[in-house]
Amino acid sequence: MTTLDELFAGRAATIVPEAIGPTVAAELRARLAPRYARYELRDRGSYEIATNVDEPAVFAALGDLAHQVTGRTLAVFEARAVRLGPGDYLLAHHDRPDDDVPVELMLDLSPASVPGAEVHYRQRGKVYFRVASRPGSLSVVERGPTVTCNHTYVSQRHAGASVVRLIVRLRDAAHTANERSPQR
Amino acid sequence: MTAMWRLGPAWQDEARLAKAWREAEPFPHLVFEDVVADEDMAALFEIVEDEPVDRYEGDILAFDATAPEAVTEAMRGLRDEFSAVLAPALARITGKAVRRADMRAYAYRVGHYLLPHADHQDGLGRALAFAYYLPSPEPPVGGELELFRCTLADGELVATIPDRRIAPRGNRLVVFDVSDVSLHQVCEVLGGLRISLAGWFYP
Repeated sequence: MTTLDELFAGRAATIVPEAIGPTVAAELRARLAPRYARYELRDRGSYEIATNVDEPAVFAALGDLAHQVTGRTLAVFEARAVRLGPGDYLLAHHDRPDDDVPVELMLDLSPASVPGAEVHYRQRGKVYFRVASRPGSLSVVERGPTVTCNHTYVSQRHAGASVVRLIVRLRDAAHTANERSPQR
Repeated sequence: MTAMWRLGPAWQDEARLAKAWREAEPFPHLVFEDVVADEDMAALFEIVEDEPVDRYEGDILAFDATAPEAVTEAMRGLRDEFSAVLAPALARITGKAVRRADMRAYAYRVGHYLLPHADHQDGLGRALAFAYYLPSPEPPVGGELELFRCTLADGELVATIPDRRIAPRGNRLVVFDVSDVSLHQVCEVLGGLRISLAGWFYP
């Protein structure tokens, strides 16, 4: 018999180090900078967010990396960026679970590493994958209905810290095409 | 065990306390000073220090704490006496028919925090929350109890504004309401050590 946990164990959760160089990361940060809006329902999160990010060249490169990791042919269906400073966080119950199994990419665009500023992926509340603050790295996670994610609290001891993460979600290309077709 | 907890002069005018409770902003709460006599403080520390402590971490918290249920007989006695002394007065003051309390000891070290949350959960029966701060050998920098003003629209939370910070001063007791809008946090400790006894009163 195959249990849900066994099915889950086959899903990808990995980190690609140095997926992007510091110059390209700085250019992306600069393009995103004017687009942030503050989110502050404090029982859920405290951070800045830029929605509907559109960076076709970056997405194409990330899609290739995601394909190499998962073996799936994927297409982007959502992209946003979050920026966290000292005192900021994003809680797990503020995250949106998915009915299917999208791939979530998180590209660390931070100008410098911030100790303790991590992303935690959880299955039924329990942390199974930790993404440390590492500028230029990319996490690739195949999510599912029981997976949630939180961005840990950024300590106020790190004055001036800035954590920037580009979050891109992809689904199987055929699925995404079908979803989009009624709009054409 | 000798009587550790005492209702001093501040507790005598219950009508005034009831009014202060109802009118407190952003939600009902009261602050009491000197609820343990100086001569009893050493005995209190002895009880707390004998209780085993573990590290707790989650997306909203990082601190050291004792187990939800007291391990030592002395800690259970401390909790039971706290309930017996305070619950009747708090029931009269707050109008909530509380009868018993649980209690854990907490140690917030540098970098520890408890992010904003409301203690209300269906089925748990929490009626009032409390935090008692022990005099710390290294007084904390930060670690305040912060209360938020919440705005609801159609039953949904639409705004959470920081409203009041209560410093974790030694020998201070804070009692506050438990409801969907009693949003509060323990601010990050930036220096020193914050030691407290905290829990909830129940019907």
